[in-house]
Order: sequence, then structure tokens, then C-alpha cells
Amino acid sequence: MAQYHLEMKVNGNSVALDIDPGLRLLDVLRDCLHLTGTKEGCSEGECGACSVILDGELVDSCLVFAPQASGREVITIEGVARNGELDYLQQAFLDAGAVQCGYCTPGMILAAKVLLDRNPHPTRQEISKAISGNICRCTGYAKMVQGVELAAASKEAKEGAVRA
Amino acid sequence: MPECSVYYQPESISEAVNFLASSERTLKPLAGGTDIVPAMRKGEMNIDGLVDLSKIPDIRSIKIEDNEIKLGSLCTFAQIERSPLIQTKASLLAQAAGAVGSPQIRSLGTIGGNIANASPAADTVTAFIALDAKARLESTNGTRSVLVSELLCGVGKTNISSNEIIAEISFKIPSENNQSGFIKLGRRKALAIARMNLAMIITLHDGLIDFARVSLGAVGPNPSRNTNLEEFLIGKKPSDSLIDSFAQFAGEEVSRMLGSRASAAYKCEAVKGIVRDLSSRLFLGSEQVVI
Repeated sequence: MAQYHLEMKVNGNSVALDIDPGLRLLDVLRDCLHLTGTKEGCSEGECGACSVILDGELVDSCLVFAPQASGREVITIEGVARNGELDYLQQAFLDAGAVQCGYCTPGMILAAKVLLDRNPHPTRQEISKAISGNICRCTGYAKMVQGVELAAASKEAKEGAVRA
Repeated sequence: MPECSVYYQPESISEAVNFLASSERTLKPLAGGTDIVPAMRKGEMNIDGLVDLSKIPDIRSIKIEDNEIKLGSLCTFAQIERSPLIQTKASLLAQAAGAVGSPQIRSLGTIGGNIANASPAADTVTAFIALDAKARLESTNGTRSVLVSELLCGVGKTNISSNEIIAEISFKIPSENNQSGFIKLGRRKALAIARMNLAMIITLHDGLIDFARVSLGAVGPNPSRNTNLEEFLIGKKPSDSLIDSFAQFAGEEVSRMLGSRASAAYKCEAVKGIVRDLSSRLFLGSEQVVI
């Protein structure tokens, strides 16, 4: 079995490790780096539970060989809160009751984060499209869309207050 | 755990093709990975290793040269979908790229991979076929340029040799006054593999259609142009009645193409819906959605 020396950035920290190149980014995150917030669902890109942000793009980490991520920057759900303070999206999901069993939540939050980073005021349709690669088997989609709307509004209100 | 005894990460096309040519192992180029990663894990690949193209910088660009659009084979669907150049000059391709899979898959999957994978339902391939796109293949024997339609030779099959890599896909920019679009019929909106897809380009002269390209996916082993449907449109004036007769004829064509296949009864009816929808958009600028 070949070995591969992987260097990448995860949640702002540089990591370097020697791995089997057949491992997926998902395996490295969960099993080597113990970042178990990223979930394994279908393992074929249908469910989005393993979504992470790779160089600013939302990807399924079950569809990426770990060496493909070398030299790149990964953000997982563990990298979303800052200094112990929840991100707008995390707080809004709690406030909107958008979390049921929680399995899809990390992927949903990251999908929504990529959307809001590009488009701070999305329409409902844009939100639905942004989370269309994430399946919630509790079917709590309506609350999640509300959660994203709430996050967008609270972020704007806070940033408005700071500007004023 | 997949057996991956070779994992090579070249930094240039020449490094990649030299490695493919010199290795005695069975290797496969790895582009986005959205098909290969799960297939490897399921043990479906039967290869010794991978040549990962993701670190080659010069096969990701979108550019215009000599009245052609040239796309690096590792351009992702997301890149194509969002490119203002593709949106304005080849709208059907931007729409096709935007119809693939999910946001996650569009950030990873590549146009080169879509061709090499040779799925009957490949969304961007249907658009490339309508555009008469060519692929530039590189190997240690040199460069060859082949129509995408000629590279594909069956479900999951291509004429790409094991020592070749797709470096670029190019096509002539459709004339300024063209109308083009893409439509897909899936079992659901998100993440569906096309049950059928359709790409069209038309141009008008003095109110009459003087150029038409019609490409259908998932009604045969690979997407293909249907010249009968194209000829049907030439010289006609866009109208509601043309949309009706064109949709009717498309049903007959799909019925002929599929013969006695089990899906024929469904698809020869369903194609009328997508033809109607896309033709309305192109002929009348209407956004009515019939599916």
C-alpha cells in the first residue's frame, strides 16, 4: 500500500500526516483528525451529511480522495464557531428549532454558510437550492429555511448596529 | 478500503502522460472523483491506481481564442455554471452544468470527467454535442483533436486510449443572435440523474429559423444530435403551432430511436413536454414550465 504525505489546512490549522492515499477526505477528518462533526451518510454523494467547505466551495467529503485536498483549506462544522461563540447560523438553527436528530445539521449549516458568504440576502428559493444536496430524514426543511433567513437577518442587524 | 497501490499526482500534462505511458500497471486518470471515489470503494474499478490530475494548474481555465471557447478539462460544473462568459456565449452549457447533481457535486465534478465517464445521461455532454465540441487529447504520441460525439461509443465506453488524457474541450462560439438552452427531466429536482435531457441552439434570419441544433441525452447509449429534428425546424417561423408540431415530431423520433425498449412508451410522451418547454423559452421567450 502506497503512503502519501498529506499537508492541508483544517479550520485554520496546518496539519501534516502520512496516510493511505485511498482514504477519502471524510476518513481523514473523522478517523485521523477526530473531527467527528462531519457525518458519513450514503457514501456516494446523495445525502450531503459529509459536506465540508474546500477552498470556499461546498463539497461532499465522501467523494474526495484525501490527496486531492493537499495544499488546500478545509472548513468543517468544528471550524464554524469562533472563540467559543456560535456562528449566526448555528444560533439561528437553535432559535428556529431547525435541529431534530442532528445528523444532517453540520452539512446543512455548512451549505448555508457557503450561500450566505456569497449572497447575504438570499430568497427562499435560493436557500432551497443551496441546501438541495443535503437530505434531512426528519424532513425538517421548513424550519431550516427559516433558520437561514433568521441567520441572514440577525447578521445584518448586528453588522448594521456595528456600523451605526 | 479500496486497493490503491499507485497514487500519482503529476504537476503537468506531460508528467501525467509520461507516467501513464511508462507504467505497466492499469491506471486511470482521476479528475473530480465524484464517480471514481465511490466506485473504487465498491470495488467496481478493477485498476491498480490513479493519476490524480487535480494538481495540474493549466487545465482549469475558460478562455476565448480564435472565435472558439476553450475549456480546460478540469473545469468544474460550478465554474462553468457561474462563468459570465459561458452564460452569455453558450447559455445551454451553463444551464447544463447547473443541472448536474447537487451544489456539492457541481463543485467537484468536471467536464472532462463527464465526457470520459460516458454516461448516457451526462448533462454537459448533451450540451457539448449540440455545440459540436471537440476534445483535445494528449499522450506521449502527441495531440489529437476529436469531436466529442466521436469519442463516445456506448454506455460507459469511449475511444480514449489508456495512455491519453483529455486536456481541453473547445467549440465555435455560436453566432451572436443565437438562442440556446438546456432542459432536463429527472425523477426529482435535486440530484437526479436525467431520465432525459435536451439541448438546443437556434438562430433566426428574417423571422425564420435558419440554423438549428438539437441534442438529446438518455435516449440512446450516448447523447447525440438528431438531424431530423434539426431539419424540421429550418425555414420555419417560431410560433405556438410550430411548438406543437415540433413536440409531436420529437415524440415520433424518440419512439423510433428507442424501438422496443421498456422506457420507450414513457419517453416518447415525456419528450414532448421537455421539447415544448424548451422551445417555448427559445422561440417565445416564455418561462412557462410544463414539468
